Amino acid sequence: MIRNYLKTAWRNILQNKFYATINVAGLTVGLVVGLFMLLWVQDELSFDKFNSNAKNIYKVGIVGGTGISKQIFNNIIAPVATFAKNEIPEVKDAVRIMSIGDAPFKYKDKVFYEKDFAFTDPSYFTVFDFNLIRGDEQNPFPDNNSLVITESTAKRYFGNEDPIGKVVMMGQNEQCKVTGVIRDYPENSSFQYHVLLPISRFNDLAYIKNKKTYDNKTIVSSMDADWSNFGFQTYLLLKNSDVNTVALEKKLQAIHERNKPEDAPVPYLTQPLLKMHLYKADGTDGGMSTVSTFAIVALMILVIACINYVNLSTARSMLRAKEVSMRKIIGAGKFQLFIQFMVETALLFMIAAVFAFVLMIVLLPNFNQFSGKQIALDLSNYNIWLCIILTLVGTLAASSIYPALLLSSFEPLKALKGKISVSIGNVAFRRILVVLQFSASIILIIGTLVIGNQLRFIRDKNLGYDKENVFSFTMRNSMQQHFDVVKTELLKNPAVLSVTRAGRDIITGGMSTGDNDWDGKPANSNMWFNQIYADKDLIPFFNMNIVEGANFKGVVADSIHFLINETAVREMGLKDPIGKRLRVQTRNGTIIGVVKDFHFTTIHKKIEPAVFQYQPNYCWKVYVKTTGRDAQKAIAAALTTWKQYNNDVPFNYAFLDETYDKLYTTEQKQGSLFNLFATIAIVISCLGLFGLATYSAQVKTREIGIRKVLGASVAKIISLLAAEFMVLIIIAIFIAMPVAWFAMNSWLQDFAYKINIGWVVFLFAGGGATLIALATISIQSVKAALANPVKSLRSE
Amino acid sequence: MIKITNLEKFYRTEEVETIALNKLTMEVNTGEFVAIMGPSGCGKSTLLNILGMLDDPDEGSYVFNGIEVAHFNERKRADLRKHNIGFVFQSFNLIDELTVFENVELPLIYTGVTASERVKRVEEVLDKMQIMHRRNHYPQQLSGGQQQRVAIARAVVNKPKLILADEPTGNLDSSNGNDVMELLTDLNEQGTTIIMVTHSEHDARYSHRIIRLLDGQTVMENIMV
Repeated sequence: MIRNYLKTAWRNILQNKFYATINVAGLTVGLVVGLFMLLWVQDELSFDKFNSNAKNIYKVGIVGGTGISKQIFNNIIAPVATFAKNEIPEVKDAVRIMSIGDAPFKYKDKVFYEKDFAFTDPSYFTVFDFNLIRGDEQNPFPDNNSLVITESTAKRYFGNEDPIGKVVMMGQNEQCKVTGVIRDYPENSSFQYHVLLPISRFNDLAYIKNKKTYDNKTIVSSMDADWSNFGFQTYLLLKNSDVNTVALEKKLQAIHERNKPEDAPVPYLTQPLLKMHLYKADGTDGGMSTVSTFAIVALMILVIACINYVNLSTARSMLRAKEVSMRKIIGAGKFQLFIQFMVETALLFMIAAVFAFVLMIVLLPNFNQFSGKQIALDLSNYNIWLCIILTLVGTLAASSIYPALLLSSFEPLKALKGKISVSIGNVAFRRILVVLQFSASIILIIGTLVIGNQLRFIRDKNLGYDKENVFSFTMRNSMQQHFDVVKTELLKNPAVLSVTRAGRDIITGGMSTGDNDWDGKPANSNMWFNQIYADKDLIPFFNMNIVEGANFKGVVADSIHFLINETAVREMGLKDPIGKRLRVQTRNGTIIGVVKDFHFTTIHKKIEPAVFQYQPNYCWKVYVKTTGRDAQKAIAAALTTWKQYNNDVPFNYAFLDETYDKLYTTEQKQGSLFNLFATIAIVISCLGLFGLATYSAQVKTREIGIRKVLGASVAKIISLLAAEFMVLIIIAIFIAMPVAWFAMNSWLQDFAYKINIGWVVFLFAGGGATLIALATISIQSVKAALANPVKSLRSE
Repeated sequence: MIKITNLEKFYRTEEVETIALNKLTMEVNTGEFVAIMGPSGCGKSTLLNILGMLDDPDEGSYVFNGIEVAHFNERKRADLRKHNIGFVFQSFNLIDELTVFENVELPLIYTGVTASERVKRVEEVLDKMQIMHRRNHYPQQLSGGQQQRVAIARAVVNKPKLILADEPTGNLDSSNGNDVMELLTDLNEQGTTIIMVTHSEHDARYSHRIIRLLDGQTVMENIMV
């Protein structure tokens, strides 16, 4: 029986190549895009799940500051982990990770700059599923010189030689010996440290070898006695998943406040490992909304593709009426017919699925590049199969059940006599589907336009400083001590306009502190300052404005001078800031100037209070302003200077505007993805519309013929055919507008500085969709209208 | 075989009610060949559809082989139909996507006959209808006469007790029409009951009995000799 169904289905496809092609094309494109997006979503949701303890691992953070300067700290102080393990019974184990940027590792004559290196506790290898495949799991770091690396790092360093026991040099003279190898991290691991050293070595380097002090008086004996260094990622493995995390947070806070009462209150936060990838420490969105948006858009695109199929097959079901009736008269039951049409859809679907798979394999590298992922169509991965099968079954069910029900429920007598014309309910249903399709497409178009506008707004925004033609690099080794020479050298080159330095990247934010005091500070104020270490010419270099007072002069007295921004003045509640006393950490001084507000982090955030301190010795970041045209010459000059101090270290520089753009990579990606989605949605929708218009023109051949004989003009007939569909598009526009406005408005809420969604966006999206739809319909309408009426009348 | 009593069928639109069958009573015995005649709109086709269980009557009784079927539901009717009744239509109604062989095979598939038995029976009946050489052709590749022979083959392949023919020669020239009538006569002689709706006095003469309808009622019965 199934063979008979397949045979009929296959012949039907061959006989109606035009409609079959439209159906297969629409489904294929829908499946490719839908599946890619769902794979992406599945990958995002799978982060860190591979850890067998995942459900019981929590990351510890704290909340610092109040009001506008309130912020979440993901890293905490080192002793909390030790105390928690000893004092809190529900804590089974703890892991600290200290990552301090990049460092050169030398093996024989090869040097590797490792960005992904960290100091950690030995428990790192047992709390997480990063088990040693070489070395002693119970004792991965036998001594302070131990080093554990990943398989691929071992390959990079030592080729095919046995890595165990190999000696490498970290930095200039820190010897390390490989004692263990772990498997490479899965792509969906939040941890990607390829070179790991014992945290006891960090203690050794930071506290034993260099005597660490915060006030030039008391020396901190070890990291476990350091209650001020908020640099340690800390993870707790809990005894079971029933632990009350609120109570746990209170206990952690108590430990902190008992040991450093002056920090109180310092609320602690715990975040489940499984939420780390998509949520911020305080539980607010950190990517989850993008994931849900993508899941929704993926479903929208799949639904649009299904609608095409449903619409075309139900519209054309009239043509199958005779066959269905005969089958019924001969003895086919309703269920048998239902199965027959399901089989037919399934066959068409299989064809589309095969095309989709081939396309996916071909496009996978582009997709990975586009999405920044390394998804492989790994057929042994159960999750990928699950995702693919669920999508296929879901889409198949959505597109097959209704047409199969409709076709199998024909009454044979009526159908045979041709009395089943397009019954009213049917047409209404198809119209609703077309409206849905176009609403979805228009929503996506509006989304694309709004994201595009916001991105343009970001690019063109006056940030309060001049970022054009500026590049920066970080000094190393002795270069910092010889900055004045470096500066003079650079300025000799005509391509270099000016040079300055700062303690941090001006764009991406940096340290902040709540340890401060000023004249008249309210008792309940817990304001935090963003700290900017500056040289005397930093402010003129960036064309920032001083609205009150004066800039640093570069004299010794400047070490007790502060410049603050307008927000700080407001938040501190100062009427007349100049000359007021201010203490920031251990530094006491006076405010000498107010800098006009400028954006020193992303425009997602409101401008926070900032303080400039004259600290040339802490300024490692060099900024070079070039003429623009001669930028390459300026870079060459910087490189030459660099080599005099750091011959063995590669020279890394970045243009400020590029760094700025990188802050919005997520938004840019969203923008281009939405562009793609909107295009695909409209293409699939138009394919369906084209099919329907063709069908409609065919059905109306006789009507058109009669009208022409009676004297209707070509234009009249085109408008007759087009009007039917244009009404639907216009309804779609009105449905799409409020939905899109609501969705995009909530997307914009994520920005502290944003555009208003103007009516122009709606006009563009609506007008665009209308024009595209009109063009699609016209192709068929014109053809039908131009046909010879004699011929079309005869065809009935 | 068939006994209908006071059968009524109405067609209603919003404003008009048309009586298609008006308290019609008739009987057809096993092995009979009955022709039903009458002007357009007299209720011939309605009657045939009710007899074929494609439609149900509004009032009255219809006993088929001793079973009252007038108020059977769709599924029961379909079941009774596929085992007992074959149909022949004026416009043949073959399925365009299937070959001659597959068209004839279809009723056997729906009654669950095994594949090997199906081949045997289809070949047998195609042979009898002298259309065997066309078994792999599609309907559009055949002449009208050939198509009707395929349709008859399809109607009889399940060995039905009753064949209902709705103007079986209406779309054929006279020579092909005569061939079809000969075929039906042969089938009747082998024991199949036949009820045929026709406009043609010539075709009606092949039957044993002519029932003439007017306005949904029997107006005359002629017994052919």
